[in-house]
Amino acid sequence: MSKPSAAIGGAHPLFYPLLLVACAIVLLPVFWMLSTALKDETELFRDPLLLWPEKPTLAAFRSVFEDYPFAAYIRNSLVVVVCATAISLTFSTLAGYGLSRFRFGGRGAFLAFLLLSQMFPSVMLIIPYFKILKSAGLLDSRLGLIVTYVSFTIPFCTWMMYGYFRSIPVELDEAAAIDGCGSVRTFFTVILPLALPGMVATAVYAFITGWNEYLFALILTNSEEQKTLPVGIGQLIGQYRIEWNELMAASIYSTIPLMVFFLFLQRYLISSLTAGAVKS
Amino acid sequence: MSDASPPLPPPARKRSPAAAARSRTGFAFVSPAMLVMALLVVYPLAYGIYISLFRTNLLNRWDFVGLTFFVQSLSDPGFLRSLFITALYAILVVGGHLIVGVALAVVLATQIRMRLLFRAILILPWLFPEVVVALIFRWIFDPIFGLLNHLLRSVGLISTQVAWLDDPTWAFVAVVGAAIWKGYPLVMLLALAGLQSIPRDRYEAAALDGAGRFGQFRYVSLPGLAPILGVAVILEFVWWFKHFTIVWLMTKGGPVDATNVVSIDIYRTAFQSFDFGRASAMAVIVLFICIAFAIAYRRMVPDEQA
Repeated sequence: MSKPSAAIGGAHPLFYPLLLVACAIVLLPVFWMLSTALKDETELFRDPLLLWPEKPTLAAFRSVFEDYPFAAYIRNSLVVVVCATAISLTFSTLAGYGLSRFRFGGRGAFLAFLLLSQMFPSVMLIIPYFKILKSAGLLDSRLGLIVTYVSFTIPFCTWMMYGYFRSIPVELDEAAAIDGCGSVRTFFTVILPLALPGMVATAVYAFITGWNEYLFALILTNSEEQKTLPVGIGQLIGQYRIEWNELMAASIYSTIPLMVFFLFLQRYLISSLTAGAVKS
Repeated sequence: MSDASPPLPPPARKRSPAAAARSRTGFAFVSPAMLVMALLVVYPLAYGIYISLFRTNLLNRWDFVGLTFFVQSLSDPGFLRSLFITALYAILVVGGHLIVGVALAVVLATQIRMRLLFRAILILPWLFPEVVVALIFRWIFDPIFGLLNHLLRSVGLISTQVAWLDDPTWAFVAVVGAAIWKGYPLVMLLALAGLQSIPRDRYEAAALDGAGRFGQFRYVSLPGLAPILGVAVILEFVWWFKHFTIVWLMTKGGPVDATNVVSIDIYRTAFQSFDFGRASAMAVIVLFICIAFAIAYRRMVPDEQA
C-alpha cells in the first residue's frame, strides 16, 4: 500500500514552468466561462473583447430560470439520476459481494460480461430502447430514462463494488461464520458497514455518469417538462441568437454538483478509482 | 496461463454439500443484478441485432433483408470514411491523454511544492460535464467574440478572424483538443497511482546502475506503468471510438463530414433518416470493432485482475 503523499525524487526546475503552462490551459476555459456568465448582453458582444466584465452581474444566473424551464431540467436530472443510482447501487452491492466471496457456475462469464458491456455502443442500445419504451408508453418519461440509466450504470457499479469487496479481508467473513452468523447476516452486519466508503464512491460515479449523460436523454425525451439538464443546456446552442452568458451560467449550475462531490469525497473517489487498476 | 481459475479464497471442493450450498448462496447474491442486466442490457442488445436484419421504421414496416445492410454499410465509402475519421479521432485523443496524463503524473509524483494544489487544478476538466466542455470550447472558438481569436490577434499571430469550426482541418483539431482537455485527468490519476505503487528501491537500484532521471523513467517508471496504461489505452480507445456528445455539440459532424464520427453517422441514419435497420447494422459493426479491442484487453490483463 502506497501512501497517497508518497513522492518520488526531487523536482526538476523545468517542472514548475511545465505545471504552470498546464494549469493555465486548464484554467483559461474555466475563467472564460465565469467571465462570460458574469457579463450582461452589452458587455458580452463588446469589441474589443472584455476579458473580465466591467460591471459583473448575476443576471444571467437568474434569467436562465425565467427564460427557460431550467428548474424542470434540474428536477428531472435529479429524479432520474438519483433513482437510477439508488437502483444500480443496491443490485451491484449484492452482486459485488457475491462475486468476491463465492464460486458458482457462470461467475467467470458474468465478470467477462461486465467488461464486455464497456464495448457496447450506446447508439446501439438506443435504437431498441426507443422502440421498447415507445411500445411500453415510456418514451418521453422520467421512468423510461431511469430504466436506461440503470442499464449503463449497473455493469460498472458491479465491477467497482466487486473490486471494493475484494479489498475487505475474507478473514472477517470467516470470523463471523465461526461466531455463528449465516451468510446473509454476515453480509449485512459485518461486511456492509465496512463497504460503506466503496458504496459512496460507486454511487458518486454512477451519479456523475448519469448527470453527464446526453445522448439517451436527447433521443428518449422530447417535451420540455421531461428533458434533463444536459439536453436543456445543449439545445440553447441551437437557437438563432445564442445568449452565451446564460449558457455559461447554466453550465456552471450543472457543474456545481460534481465539484461539491469531488471536494468532499476526493480521497475516496481517487483511491477507489485507482484501487482496481493498481494491484500488486 | 490465461485460463487460470479466478483467485478466490475457498478452494472449490467438487460437489461437497457445503460447496454446493456456498455456490447457491453466491448465486443468490448475484442473481438480482444478473436478472436486471439480462432485461436491460442483453435483451435490448439482442433486439438491436434483430432490428439490423430488417428494413424497418419500427412501426408498421418490417421487411426482412438479412445481412443486406451489413454488406451495404461495409461497401459504403461514406460509412468507411466515418469509421476512419473515428479511428483517427480515438487514436489522437487517447494518444493525447497518454502523453499529457503521464507527463503530468511524472511531475506530480516528485517532491514538488504545492502538489496538492496543482493536482486539484489539473483534475478540474474531469469534473466538467461533456456538454459543458463542448459549449465552452465552441464559445472560445467563436470567430467574432471568441477568446482564442482575441488572444491570437493581440499577440499578432493572426490578423483576421478565423472561423475555426468552419474549416475542416481546424474543426477536427478543435474536437480532438477539447476531448484531450476533458479526458486526460483520468489517465493522469491512474498513472500517478501507478507511479506511487512502484517500489522506491527499484529507482535506487537504477540510480546505482548509473541511470539518470530519463533512464529511471525509461527503465523503471514506464515498465511499472505498462500494465495500468495497457488497460487504460484499450478502455479509453473504446470509449472515445463511441464518443458522440462533444463532437456533436461542437460541429454536428461538419463542416461537410470532417468530424463525422461513427456515432453521429449512426444517430443521423436512425433518427434523421429513420433508417433504423441500417443504423442498427452500423452499430453492430461498431460493436464488433469494440469487441476486437475487448479481446485485446482480455489478452493484456492477466486474470488476476480481470
